[in-house]
Amino acid sequence: MAVTFYLMAVLLLLSAVAVITFKNPIYSALALVFNLFVVAGLFATLDAHFIAAVQVVVYAGAIMVLVMFVLMLLSAKLEKASPFSPLYFGAALICGLAFAVTLGLEFDSGFNSAPPASDLQGTVAAVGKVLYSRYVFPFEAASLLLMAAIAGAVVLARRRYRTKEL
Amino acid sequence: MELMILVAKVIVALFLVALHLAAFCTWVERKGSALIQDRIGANRSAAYVQTDNLLLKPVAFFLRIMGGLGVINTLVNDAVKAILKEDFVPAGVPKFVHALAPFLAVFPIFLAYAVVPMAPDFEAFGQVIRLQVASLDAGVLFLFAMGSVSVYGVAMAGWSGNNKFSLLGALRASAQMISYELAMGISLVTVILVYGTLDLYEMVNAQGKLWGICYQPLTFLILFTVGMAETKRGPFDLPESESELVAGYFTEYSGMKFLVFWLGEFAEIGLFALLLTILFFGGWNIPFFTYPSNHWIWAIVGFHVLLLKVVFFCVLQIVIRWTLPRFRYDQLMDLGWKILLPLSMLNLVFYAALKLSGGIG
Repeated sequence: MAVTFYLMAVLLLLSAVAVITFKNPIYSALALVFNLFVVAGLFATLDAHFIAAVQVVVYAGAIMVLVMFVLMLLSAKLEKASPFSPLYFGAALICGLAFAVTLGLEFDSGFNSAPPASDLQGTVAAVGKVLYSRYVFPFEAASLLLMAAIAGAVVLARRRYRTKEL
Repeated sequence: MELMILVAKVIVALFLVALHLAAFCTWVERKGSALIQDRIGANRSAAYVQTDNLLLKPVAFFLRIMGGLGVINTLVNDAVKAILKEDFVPAGVPKFVHALAPFLAVFPIFLAYAVVPMAPDFEAFGQVIRLQVASLDAGVLFLFAMGSVSVYGVAMAGWSGNNKFSLLGALRASAQMISYELAMGISLVTVILVYGTLDLYEMVNAQGKLWGICYQPLTFLILFTVGMAETKRGPFDLPESESELVAGYFTEYSGMKFLVFWLGEFAEIGLFALLLTILFFGGWNIPFFTYPSNHWIWAIVGFHVLLLKVVFFCVLQIVIRWTLPRFRYDQLMDLGWKILLPLSMLNLVFYAALKLSGGIG
């Protein structure tokens, strides 16, 4: 079990680095797809099959397909390395250090002990029960937010369409 | 023992079902299309196999029959030709992505066969065996995930072709698959609602008395249409429409890589037929008959009953593909967004109301 975890962790980190280092945006997108798959694999090793499947359906199957679609449609150019900027470097350094410190504290407080694998944790029934009882308000709020985003997208698309017609 | 049973299951799912269905569909496509178009079709392979050896005469006779039926042509000649052909890669193509795309196009399809139950449970080696490689608790969802992932192979193939026809084909394919996945997802939710489970095996068990088609015909029609569109065939073959785009997203592929795309397409037809059979046509259930025990002999009977229904749906899809003319692109999008999506939503609301009022389940 530990072997699969470390293998996946290495793949996860490598693909994450690949996302930001590839010059070609399409390669970056493909690396991100791979990354999301490995995350789904991590969920699957925790016996959370439902969350793993949802991860693949939503991120790899829907969002990244759209990203790829747009990249291909616009035939994205190769990215050029931007010149060294002290501002970006400093911001990256501070964020990275903050993240490292948080991670180190987490490790100290017993983060490295594996979560107890229960039979019910990741099943559809268990997730559904928790989602529609304890977290029903955040869930509904999220759906409202998504609805507003859809309406906004339609409005924006229609407006551009109308000005083109004129 | 556990490992051997698992290996046996994989062999059954991959070689006995998936690849055989793909091969069968290839043959029906070649010879069936000839029948539909009033041609004779492939019939020359092994047509002149003659022998004086009395013992080999039945073999020669068998080969001549198979050749006349076009089986040898589709299964042997085409494969040998594709393997021996030069694997031409155009200049200026991103080689890695170009080589990876065909495999990404077939990989999710064959992976999806892992969650499909193929026969009733049976007892062997002192334990109850279920003919399903991975009995996931979210089986339908896994199938849906694999379906939505299979678009990557197509998109990468079209993009890496470095050619406008390929790119157009890939864009059409992605747009088509995204559009039809909405209706597909909502219809699958309806099915899950009706049976009250995501487990494909439980769904088959729920149809012991009455097949799903009897009380959810509209869901079946929507899913069947969406399935035809997802396999990018039939009247929905705009991504590879040969009269406009040469061959669409796989224009720049030759040899075995080209054949791998076709293999994936035919395996997808088989997978879809399996899914329809399990969701709506009772899986291995026979009307007015219950399997008396979980003896292995009944598992074999059930397996063949399931395959018979699957073969029917494979042939049906191929007949439709050779009968109907291609849609126009706006018609395709209208059908997906303005007809199938609202229809599947209404369908979902109807069955939810029925379920709440205690009409079903």
